[in-house]
Amino acid sequence: MSSTARSGRLRRALAIGIAATFAASLTACAPTQSDGSDVTLTVWSWRPEDVDSYNKIFDVFEKENPGITVEFKAFKATEYNQILATGLAGSEGPDVPQVRSFGDLQPTVAAGSLVALDDDIDFSTWDPNLMATALGADDGKIYAVPLARQMWQMYYNKDIFEQEGLEVPTTWDEFIDVNQTLLDADLIPMSLGAKDSWTLPLTHEVVAASRFGGGEFAEKRVTGQTDFNDPDWVASTELFGELAKFFPKDTTGITFGDAQALFTSERAGMFPGGAADLAPLQAANPDLNIGVFQVPAAPDSPEGSGATTANWADGNFGLSSKSKHPEEALALIQWMATPEFGQMVADDIKQISAVPGVQPSDPILREMNELANASGSPYLLYSGFCGGSPCGITTWGSGLQELLLGSKDATTISKELEESVSWFTPAPAQ
Amino acid sequence: MRRRTALLFTAPALLLFAVFILYPMFTMFSYAFFSWAGTARGGFVGLDNFVTLFTRAPFTTDLPRAAMNNLTFFIGLMVFQNSIGIGIAYALQSRPRIRQSLQTIYATPYLIGPIIVGYLWSLLLSPVFGPVNSALRALGLDSLAVAWLGEPSTAPWVVIGVSVWQWIGFPVLLYGAAFGGIPAELGEAARMDGATNRQVFFRVTLPLLMPAVGTMTVLTFIFAMEVFALPYAFGGSTGSPAGSIDFVSLLFYRVAFGSGATDAIGNASALAVLLFLVIFGGAFAATRLLRRYESRLVG
Repeated sequence: MSSTARSGRLRRALAIGIAATFAASLTACAPTQSDGSDVTLTVWSWRPEDVDSYNKIFDVFEKENPGITVEFKAFKATEYNQILATGLAGSEGPDVPQVRSFGDLQPTVAAGSLVALDDDIDFSTWDPNLMATALGADDGKIYAVPLARQMWQMYYNKDIFEQEGLEVPTTWDEFIDVNQTLLDADLIPMSLGAKDSWTLPLTHEVVAASRFGGGEFAEKRVTGQTDFNDPDWVASTELFGELAKFFPKDTTGITFGDAQALFTSERAGMFPGGAADLAPLQAANPDLNIGVFQVPAAPDSPEGSGATTANWADGNFGLSSKSKHPEEALALIQWMATPEFGQMVADDIKQISAVPGVQPSDPILREMNELANASGSPYLLYSGFCGGSPCGITTWGSGLQELLLGSKDATTISKELEESVSWFTPAPAQ
Repeated sequence: MRRRTALLFTAPALLLFAVFILYPMFTMFSYAFFSWAGTARGGFVGLDNFVTLFTRAPFTTDLPRAAMNNLTFFIGLMVFQNSIGIGIAYALQSRPRIRQSLQTIYATPYLIGPIIVGYLWSLLLSPVFGPVNSALRALGLDSLAVAWLGEPSTAPWVVIGVSVWQWIGFPVLLYGAAFGGIPAELGEAARMDGATNRQVFFRVTLPLLMPAVGTMTVLTFIFAMEVFALPYAFGGSTGSPAGSIDFVSLLFYRVAFGSGATDAIGNASALAVLLFLVIFGGAFAATRLLRRYESRLVG
C-alpha cells in the first residue's frame, strides 16, 4: 500500500475515532433515567457551613423513608438569590429550596415557583411572628416552613469581663462603663465589621432599639402612623453614632469575618451577633468562654420601651411547584415541620428551631431564646421594608456607614431612608 | 464562489456567536419592555421600565453616582495604564533578550480570575489582619497604614490600582507591538537633524503610537463601563463603603437579585439596555474618530 493511502486510512480512522468519542460523550448530557422506586430529592441552601450536619439529618429521613434519597447542595450566601431564581425558572431546579424571608420571598412567590402549604401542614401552634416570614404578600398564604428563629444580641467574653472586673450591665450607664473600661484596657469594646453594611441595621437594633421604641414603633411605622423622620428614630441613630468610639478603629474597613476573628482571638470584649453565629464562634475558638446579654434600655426611651431583641425566622424551606416528585417532596417538607427535625436542627446545626416545643440544647442559645421570648420585637427593616426596591436594609446599611465615616448626620440619613422606601404602602392599623 | 466558501468557513463561529451572544442579548433587550412578577413575565409595558430608571429610587440616587464612579474608573485606568504601559514597553524595546520573559511575567496577573484577585487583595488590605498594613507599619510608614477599603476616599484608588496591576500585561504587549511597528529610520532621521532622545519620543514616536492608544482607549472604555468582578469582590453588591465603589453593573446586580421588588427583572433589563447603548455608542464614536485620525496619518 502506498504511503499516501496508508496516511489517508490513518486519518480517516482518527476522524471516526474522534467522532465516536464525541458522540459517546454526548450521552452524558442526556437526562439520567431514574429506575423504578429510587427517588432523589434535591435540597438547596445558602449555608455551606451546615453541609455535614444536614447530610446527617437527612440520613434519618432516608432511613424512615426507604426509596427516597436526599441530596443537599449549598451555595455561597451572597450569590444564592440569583442561583435560586435561575434554578427555579429552569427545569433542573431543586425540589425543596431554602428561601428568604419577608420581602425577599416575594419574587419567588410571584413567579409561581412555590406551592402553598396551608392545606398540607398544620401551623396553628406556631409563633405568628415567625410565620410572618413565610407568607405571600398578596394572598397571605404560607409558602415555606420556618426553619430557625434568628435574633441578634450582644455576645461577650466572660474571661475578659472577669479579668477587667466587669459584670453584665443592667443599666445603660453600666453598659457605657463596660465599654469605656474595655477601651482603656486597650481592647476593642464592641467588635463591629462595618464593611459588611448589612450588619449595621442589626447592630442598630441591638444597641438602640429601646430608644426608638422597639415593637411598638415597628407597629406604628408599618401602619403608617409615623415615619423614619420620627424624633425617636433619629435619636436612636444619634445614639448609635455616639457609640462609634467603642467600635474598632477603621470599622468601615473591617469585614464581618474579621470582626468575628477579633472576638474569637480575644482582642475584643463584646461582639454584636446573631444566634446563627454561635456555632462558628465556638468552632473558631472552642476555649472561648462566651456569654450573651441584651443591651439595657437607653436613656430617654419612649414610655414602656425597654431592652428588646429583634427576632425573625430564617432559612425557611419551600416546596418547588416544578418538582418532578411532588409527593415525596411534600413528605420531606412535612417532616421538616416535625419536632424530630426541629430537635436535630437545634442539636446538630445549632440553631433555635422554629418548631413549637423544641428547645435548643446549647445553654447559650437557650438563654438567647428565653430573652427574646421575654421581650422580642420584629426586625423592622427586614419584616416591613424589604418588599420593594431598594430594600431598606441596603439603604440603612449604607447610611449608617456614612454616619460612622462622619460624612452625614443622623437626621440626614434617616431622611434618606424614608425617601428610599417611597414604594412602601402602609398596612391597615389593627 | 469565493464568498460562498468564505461564508462556509465562518459559519461555525457565526453560529456560536449567534446562539451564545446574540440570542441572549436580544432576549434580554426584550425583557426590558415587559412587566415582571419574579421570574414570570407579564404584559407589554413599552418604555415604562426605562422611565423608572430616571424617576424612581434606587435609580435616582444610585445611578448618577454609579455612572460617575464608572467614569472616574475609566479616566484613572487611562492615565495609569497608559503611562505605565507605554513606559514599560519603551524600556523593554531596547532589551530584546529579556523582553519575552518580562512580558510573560507582566501578563501573569491577567491569568487569574478577577474575582479571585479581588478577594485576595481584600485579605491583603484588611486593616486588622492584612499583611500590607503590617508591612507599612514595620517600615515606619504608619500614616499610610489606613483602612484602604474602608474609606470612600481611598477605596476607588484601590480598585483602579489593582485593575491596572492585573491588566498591565495587555497594554505592555499592545504598545510593544506598536513600538515594533515604528520604522527605526524615522527616529534616526530625527536624530540626524539634531533632535534629543526626549524630542524623538514626544514628537516622533508618541504621535505614531496614537492608533494603539486609540485602540486601548476603546477597549478600556468598554471594560470600565461594564466592570463587575473586581468592585464586587472589594465592596460587595452595594459598593461598600458608602457606595464609593458602586458601579452600574453592581447596581444592576443589586436590583435584579438583591431586593424584594417583584418587578426587578424589567428594571434591571432596562438598565442593561441603557448600559449597552452607552458602551456601543461610545465605542462606535471613538472608533470612527480613530479611523479618521489613522487615515490622516497614512494619507
